[in-house]
Amino acid sequence: MTNGDIYVCGWGAVTSLGWSAPDSARNLIAGNVPPAAVGVSSHLINREYKAFEVSYSGNPLDKSMAMLESALAEAFLRAELSVEEIAESSVLVGTTGGLFIRNEYEFTEAVRKNPDKESPAISCRNRGPGEVADLIVNKYGIRGMALTFSMACVSSSHALVVAADLLKRKKIRRAIVVGFEPLLNMTLHGFASLLLFDYDQCRPFCATRAGMQIGEAAAVVILDAEKSSSTKYKFAGGYQYNDIKSMTSAGIDGVTVSEVVQKTLTSTRVSADDIVAIKAHGTGTRDNDLSEGRGLVKLFGEKLPPVVSLKGAIGHTLGAAGAVETAVWLSCCEEEAIPRSFGFTQIDPELGFAPSQINTPAPSGAYLFTYFGFGGTCTSYLIIKE
Amino acid sequence: MSTKNNNQKKLNTSIPVIATSYIGPALTPNRDAIWEEGKLPLNTDGLVNEIMGQPMRRAGRFIKMVCCGGLACLQKVSLDYLKGKKTGIFLATGLGNVDEIMPFITQVFKHGGGFPSPNQFANSVSNAAAFVLARICEVTGTVLTISQEELSFESALWLAQSYLESGEIELALVGGCDIFTPTIEEYRERVNLTPDNSRLMPMGEGSSWLLLGNGDGEKIGDILAVDFGDKLIPPEEFSASENILSQSEKLLSASFSKDSAGQKKIRFLLPGFRVNKIETDFWKLKGWKIDDYLPFCGIHSTSPAFGIARALREKPSAIFVHYNCHASGKQAFVVASTK
Repeated sequence: MTNGDIYVCGWGAVTSLGWSAPDSARNLIAGNVPPAAVGVSSHLINREYKAFEVSYSGNPLDKSMAMLESALAEAFLRAELSVEEIAESSVLVGTTGGLFIRNEYEFTEAVRKNPDKESPAISCRNRGPGEVADLIVNKYGIRGMALTFSMACVSSSHALVVAADLLKRKKIRRAIVVGFEPLLNMTLHGFASLLLFDYDQCRPFCATRAGMQIGEAAAVVILDAEKSSSTKYKFAGGYQYNDIKSMTSAGIDGVTVSEVVQKTLTSTRVSADDIVAIKAHGTGTRDNDLSEGRGLVKLFGEKLPPVVSLKGAIGHTLGAAGAVETAVWLSCCEEEAIPRSFGFTQIDPELGFAPSQINTPAPSGAYLFTYFGFGGTCTSYLIIKE
Repeated sequence: MSTKNNNQKKLNTSIPVIATSYIGPALTPNRDAIWEEGKLPLNTDGLVNEIMGQPMRRAGRFIKMVCCGGLACLQKVSLDYLKGKKTGIFLATGLGNVDEIMPFITQVFKHGGGFPSPNQFANSVSNAAAFVLARICEVTGTVLTISQEELSFESALWLAQSYLESGEIELALVGGCDIFTPTIEEYRERVNLTPDNSRLMPMGEGSSWLLLGNGDGEKIGDILAVDFGDKLIPPEEFSASENILSQSEKLLSASFSKDSAGQKKIRFLLPGFRVNKIETDFWKLKGWKIDDYLPFCGIHSTSPAFGIARALREKPSAIFVHYNCHASGKQAFVVASTK
């Protein structure tokens, strides 16, 4: 848990809405949000699953590398880090698929190039989730710690909270927190097999919601204990928690969600009344939105601030969601607007509230971020716009 | 602002070790046993029955190994020992649950359309194993799955130590688990093994755990330091005995005063699998013994967990330095001592 002064000094993101965090933010605010579509990437073998795919002319492996490099370059530029400052930083990566895209791409290419031969079984040649951090460490000569969190949907949100903890304890000099999730057949088919996939549209907190849609993204958020003259976002504190009641939900009574958020508010000494808006996890699955929505209502009551899920617009970027949604949200704050929540049409009587349906101003104050993932994992944190 | 002399990556606060356990490819908890690479992986049913007392029907092999390893470590103190204490679980794994991922993805890519199993997908998620272990141990709060290839265990140990030091948790159950997954050639590739960056040894597997924290005077030893090098060294320097010795001596000096009893204990070097040449005579001349644990667990990403847990459990009144390198040249040292 953190409650010291840690600052967000840089960020960058590549999403289906653009190759930079400001591009994604401006498109969100302007409502230029294309619905999820059938994937066009050459490695995708099923044309039923709609997803939020990053546009790119080239092969999916090159695209994934370009996404990662673009997000890193954008964040380093915004943070005005020198080569030496990058090198002395630590890297904390949140990812579920890592570089598994390489296996999928190489396999589908081999099949495509040998149409008359029966293909061998796909092989797994990647070196585990830690390979992404290793790639970054080698490219930028990073001497700090390298840590990879492979914890489903909270991978990079947990990484942000752990990074802030380590900074507060002075265990690391600076944190480069990365979320990286290329679009994979493995996850598309996986969530479909769990019947958690909405074949039509992702509808967070809507009465008609039927599941999630996956988004492709890479993002970087840089945290530092030192404040520069241009820094205006404080990572006020966060809380990462593991619940053991259910592997697949945070408990549909909302108690766990409410307690996790309350713990964050208490540790940061921020009152519920002072929350400007909530960047909710809002996956569009029945159970997640029920547990999260009920938890938020339980805590905030009638004073519930605007609730926004970004997943109706950029999809569920799985392990990258923490870094991606933070980066895009901060760019929205820079544009002085909090975007509306996409995909909503009808209030769910079990929740009793509608997520924000209009763009709202983004004044100074505290913004709450929540994430709830597979395996009972919960993260929440506060970022204060000064 | 750049800070040249920051002290990151080094933890020199001594952390008591309350219990350890080690399981290698022979699946015999806390015992060395003969095994053959060609016969791996062995069936886990006997191990599960021995440790858990009942089958784990819906769990995959990785989850079973994680749970058996974690619970074998807790056998010394019993599960009740954790009650009322803020406990963190730190699971390190280099490759994660490849055992479940591969059959799942094979089904996905099957000609004519396969039927991937939802249970297999759920089990393949990296933190599923930590969740199951946490539920058995009734641990809520900090439960992290950390992966950093062959430095996964050292990284998890470093992180656990920082959480213990801060007081956020009182106990940490820290373990490393990786399982044998065919083919051997692909497994070797996944662990990034080449003749110049590793020892020629069979591939193995394991689940080895440490319970750390202030245990009311019941400790069996201490983790004295976890230290990551500041520079990347080329493969030809991975096994340079002079350099390893020099850094080991430095770390020991930082842990013990010159005339302390600790300095008089037997010293062991535990070489990791990136050390492709062990100069036994050199170390003997310098007063060190070699504890070569790899023949008992084989190469796997988290084999350092096996070596460290085994040494802490089996060698009283000793000092250990575990040394390993990442293939990219980053060095990691873990210093420990036993009562």
